[in-house]
Amino acid sequence: MVLAVVSRGLSVGYEEPEGVVWAVRSVSLEVEEGEAFCLAGESGCGKSTLGSAIAGILPPHAVTRGELRVGGRLVIDGGRRDFEGVRGRVVTYVPQNPGSSLSPYLTIGEQFYYVLKSTRGLRRGEALAEAREHLRRVELDPSAVLERYPHELSGGMQQRAAIALALSTGARILVADEPTSALDAHLRFQVVELLRRLRREGGLTLIFISHDLLLASALCERGAIMYAGRVVEVGSMRDLMGRPAHPYTRMLVDAIPRLGDRRPPKSYPGEPPRPGEERPGCPFRDRCPSPLSRCAVEEPPSIPLDGGRNVACWLYA
Amino acid sequence: MSLAGSTPNRSAVELVDVTAGYWTADGFALRRFHPVLKGVSVTVRRGERVAIVGESGSGKTTLLRVVLGVLQPASGRVVVMGREIYRLPRRLRWTVTSRIGYVPQDPARSLNPRLKVRDIVMEPLERSDLTEREKMERVRDALRMVQLHESVLDYYPAQLSGGMMQRVLIARAVVHEPELLLLDEPTSALDVSIQAQVINLLNSIQRKLGCTMVVVTHDLPVAQYLADRAVLLHRGAVVEDVPFEELVRSPKSELAKLLIRSFSLVTSSANGR
Repeated sequence: MVLAVVSRGLSVGYEEPEGVVWAVRSVSLEVEEGEAFCLAGESGCGKSTLGSAIAGILPPHAVTRGELRVGGRLVIDGGRRDFEGVRGRVVTYVPQNPGSSLSPYLTIGEQFYYVLKSTRGLRRGEALAEAREHLRRVELDPSAVLERYPHELSGGMQQRAAIALALSTGARILVADEPTSALDAHLRFQVVELLRRLRREGGLTLIFISHDLLLASALCERGAIMYAGRVVEVGSMRDLMGRPAHPYTRMLVDAIPRLGDRRPPKSYPGEPPRPGEERPGCPFRDRCPSPLSRCAVEEPPSIPLDGGRNVACWLYA
Repeated sequence: MSLAGSTPNRSAVELVDVTAGYWTADGFALRRFHPVLKGVSVTVRRGERVAIVGESGSGKTTLLRVVLGVLQPASGRVVVMGREIYRLPRRLRWTVTSRIGYVPQDPARSLNPRLKVRDIVMEPLERSDLTEREKMERVRDALRMVQLHESVLDYYPAQLSGGMMQRVLIARAVVHEPELLLLDEPTSALDVSIQAQVINLLNSIQRKLGCTMVVVTHDLPVAQYLADRAVLLHRGAVVEDVPFEELVRSPKSELAKLLIRSFSLVTSSANGR
């Protein structure tokens, strides 16, 4: 088993005037090479910060603790971060909004040229020839796209171009941060289909960040459910969707809309704590339908269950 | 004598052969009309829950703008709460629009960052004859209806989470007890668990006020919870107008088939794992 991404007690925070706000807290995860792994949870749970840490694009005011290995290289070691030769070359990134991730002042062809020139030193002619190949892989017609500016493409085309651009560097690990949330419902499945095919053909490792568990389970084999910066459950998507262990995972599964079933979705009161909110005990206890007295004082550790699952909940201790 | 543009009927909204769009200048001050809605006819009965479903650019939001009285159509008839809104003098349109509650698409961009929640929610009561005390009581009632604690009254939008912002927008839309509630993608900016809360909240408010509800969305599963009838828009034209059960059981238009197929493919892929 070759591991593409390994984190050990990884914490990521941001320097704020009132102190460090920890967005990711002591996360330990392993993602195998060639695997599609999902980071799921609600806004503010830390999934995008963890994705940015893996992709090597944390802002300068970020603070880190613990360890992170990407493609076998130790890239975060306590407070030290070194992504030289890894960022863009080993791991690459597709952001949420395709419109804002592409430069509005450069044609798609020019954007390929600058990326390939900086990562692999290609000349314009070579870069454009490669760009054509990459655009074909994402089912875009190069002659209709290369000379266009991003605003001249539809949202679905922009996202395909962004994926092609991200993969053009030859990176084998792709971090895709909510790549479908800005798209119409029917285009979402097309992008999922595309990512699935690219994985099959290219042996790509995919870190798929999403709050849409249904979409994530259509694409990924395994996933981690995050809440308030912690990983509360890790397991196969089949288990997470079919027999969720953590009450929060259960809540996310219950909230998935099901076409044809017009009974109202089950809703749970409350909202996640704000990043930086420090309280003892389990961060989910206020929304939990079955809290124990222990939950108010002690944070639950990660407890192994059957089938390679781990859950951070006192109900399983 | 009735007011200008008054038409007695039982419809909350009646659009007849409406063509509406936007003008652009193509150099040398030549103006060009870009139609977004092309001959759209839709009727929404009072008390009904209707979803306008379509892809980006299909004209859903333009349709809401026409109903809201802020986008005069190039042709066609627009009757809202029994009045032909665009035949009313501009200064009298508020007599119709004040009976409408509107929840815009993006909560973060739709709230004035300089106003406190109390002033935001009170806005629709500005023209009412209520005393300040009565207005404040209405604001408190609206906050209770959307299950927000009174302590948020003195908050600014930046101090609220996305779900709380959406609740404030809903409170603002219902504070004047509107007869017609228009919702533009009310859950698209929310997480799934908050989405479920907002869906249930909107349905309970609609039942409580007995108002007509028109929701615009590209998300068919969300639409089915908030409406009994679906009007499918494709490139500015209505391609299907049917009860939800019929749409899901036997979709006729290509758009309906595409939307249902995409969702089913995701579900079957997910279940196949």
